[in-house]
Amino acid sequence: MSHIVRDPKIIWRVEKQREEKVRQALEAGDEPSEAGTVILVVSGTMHQLNFVGGSIWQLCDGTRDCEAIVSELAQEFDVEREQLAADVQEFVDDLVDREWLYYE
Amino acid sequence: MSEKITELFSAPLTFNWTLSFACNFCCSHCYSREEETEELSTEDNCRIVDVLVDKQVPFINFGGGEPLIRKDLFAIAGYAADKGLNVSMNSNGWLVDAASATALKKAGFKSVGISIDSIDPSLHDDFRCMPGSFDRAVAALDHLRDAGIRTTMSSVISKINYQDFRPLLDLAREHGVEQVYLHNFKCSGRGFKNREDLDLSPDEWRSFYEEALQVKAETDDLEISFDDPVISSLPGYDEQSLVKGSSCGKLSLHLRPNGDITPCGFIPLVVGNILHDDFDDIWYNSPVLTKMRNKEAKGKCGDCGSFESCLGGCTARAFATTGDFCEPDPHCWK
Repeated sequence: MSHIVRDPKIIWRVEKQREEKVRQALEAGDEPSEAGTVILVVSGTMHQLNFVGGSIWQLCDGTRDCEAIVSELAQEFDVEREQLAADVQEFVDDLVDREWLYYE
Repeated sequence: MSEKITELFSAPLTFNWTLSFACNFCCSHCYSREEETEELSTEDNCRIVDVLVDKQVPFINFGGGEPLIRKDLFAIAGYAADKGLNVSMNSNGWLVDAASATALKKAGFKSVGISIDSIDPSLHDDFRCMPGSFDRAVAALDHLRDAGIRTTMSSVISKINYQDFRPLLDLAREHGVEQVYLHNFKCSGRGFKNREDLDLSPDEWRSFYEEALQVKAETDDLEISFDDPVISSLPGYDEQSLVKGSSCGKLSLHLRPNGDITPCGFIPLVVGNILHDDFDDIWYNSPVLTKMRNKEAKGKCGDCGSFESCLGGCTARAFATTGDFCEPDPHCWK
């Protein structure tokens, strides 16, 4: 019930060059960029997810719940776990409302 | 989207793919009827699929020529669908019967578009230069729906239908079509030769779009699409496109039967070959694509307040009629 999965009808891809650029900027100590690193095509309309959102999206493959996603991201992002958990939950809630993600 | 296309997209979202220029029809507006080139083997076409998968291109749309002329369409499409690509095609419908519709479904086609230009069978048949083609096209829509494939309908707007497009929408409804494309007329191939007889004047285009946009706004049971950048210069037009101006060379590219890549089917400029050249080099560095993505305002576009929205309109049409991407779209009414 608590594992999070992407709507299979949504077409998406990781823009790898862009993702790498943002990753390098983060490693250099810059703030997380708002630049889109994952693009989604939902019913013919394109949306972009930034690096943090894109990272969460990629982990929503039906094998993890929110807690597991937070644990994975905590290895990558240098933020308080409590803050990270709140951010992940907010993102997931938003995309569940849009019916782009759902719990199974 | 003010940033450079290649800063966001590492590849197009769609490849429009002509497996063969061969066709059983000889339509009055066809861009490709007089084209000839080598065709690739099934194996080589599957190698192309591998490249598209590697580059994460999510959509392929077979066109042509008539895609069903190639007997290995099902094998190539099935290979692509198995690799996760979203496969669709546009067809004249002549070869779509119950058996082929079932085979298309089995091959993994998500959507099939059928061309119908008038609800008057004789007008459609005359435009398509094929007696009986209207009845076969309508039957194709039913076969595809029965097979469980999403259908779309493509109507090329021309002198024969621009004042009478509403019945086409009713026809679509009657046959379970989900989306109707009211395609703008392209001045390429036979379309260039016959443009005096078939193409509308700029003022006629304006009137058509004003009416069609109103119909679209009042319609909620059918998706109506135009894909014509020149529309964005209409006052009050506020639909958000993924990119401004023409989408070709930005969101989509076209594959010719020998693997050559062109920006779109209507622009016969080869920017490389998908099997012989490095795709990333083509996508990021092609001078033709770079020029198309960075159009300068020429002629009347120079002091037009709409240029920022329409970017000069359809690049293919400007190129076909003037030889210059940056000249104004000849359909522009401003």
